[in-house]
Amino acid sequence: MAALRQPFIEKPASRDRVMEPASRLGQAFRVTGVLETDGELHVHGHVKGRIHADRLVLAIGAYVEGDILARDVRIGGRFNGRIFALNVAVDSSAEVIGRVFHHTLTVDKGARIDGRMPWRPINFFESLKDIPEAKT
Amino acid sequence: MSVFTRSDKTTDPNAAKATAQPMAPASTPAAAPAEPPRPATPAPSVTPAGQGVSIISKALKITGQLESTEAVQIDGEVDGDIRAASVKVGGNAKVKGTVYGEVVEVAGRIEGKIEAKKVVLKQTAHMAGDVVHQDITIESGAYINGHCRPEFGKAEGRADAKPEHTPYKPVAVS
Repeated sequence: MAALRQPFIEKPASRDRVMEPASRLGQAFRVTGVLETDGELHVHGHVKGRIHADRLVLAIGAYVEGDILARDVRIGGRFNGRIFALNVAVDSSAEVIGRVFHHTLTVDKGARIDGRMPWRPINFFESLKDIPEAKT
Repeated sequence: MSVFTRSDKTTDPNAAKATAQPMAPASTPAAAPAEPPRPATPAPSVTPAGQGVSIISKALKITGQLESTEAVQIDGEVDGDIRAASVKVGGNAKVKGTVYGEVVEVAGRIEGKIEAKKVVLKQTAHMAGDVVHQDITIESGAYINGHCRPEFGKAEGRADAKPEHTPYKPVAVS
């Protein structure tokens, strides 16, 4: 577990990260573009594009289309695209289309998943600085 | 009855509630049983602010277009246009692009443009660009480099504005 806790995204183990309030994108919020944070991000609205985060929560009602690179990801809403995350939790309300690259994975009963969920060793994520190009 | 029938309906309704607050600590501290049973109050929500409010915290950087029909609080960095009912740009925030809104309150840096009904530039505001407004407040100390231009909606029309173009009609002489 100690190994899992280590951040793989290049950054110092920042002291103020714990103090940092989580970002929150409300239900009425729509973004197209790139979101980057080394903290926590809660998405309740719609995002089209890339998300880099430490911890990411897609709440119920959220819709995300695109690629995600994070350490921890929790999905309760709809997602279409690719996820690269060490720890992935898929809630029962989730609808996931695409590929989920993970090291540890939890899927709740009732979750709708259409796609592949390949396991990768930790060093795959440690060496991952950016999201690889999609293979077409 | 099919073996594969989903049993969604039979699931505990509390399960859905639990997932509505992701990443919350799963268990209460050990001291909890000592407390008297409390009335069923909703558990403290992860985000105490109103439902639709969006917060872009200091650590978040967004490149692209943002849109919301509700309030947005920006403390991080935004590179792109923002459209929302109410936009608050915090003291450490940086925005590059146009900010559209009903109410725009600025305490941070904006490079670009503001188009809003009501604009408030706080003391610490740094505004490089034009401001199109109906109502503006500039606090002492605010930096502003750009034009401030009042503009009133076309539908309302300006009080001093000339009436709409009236084509000349020759009067019939009998």
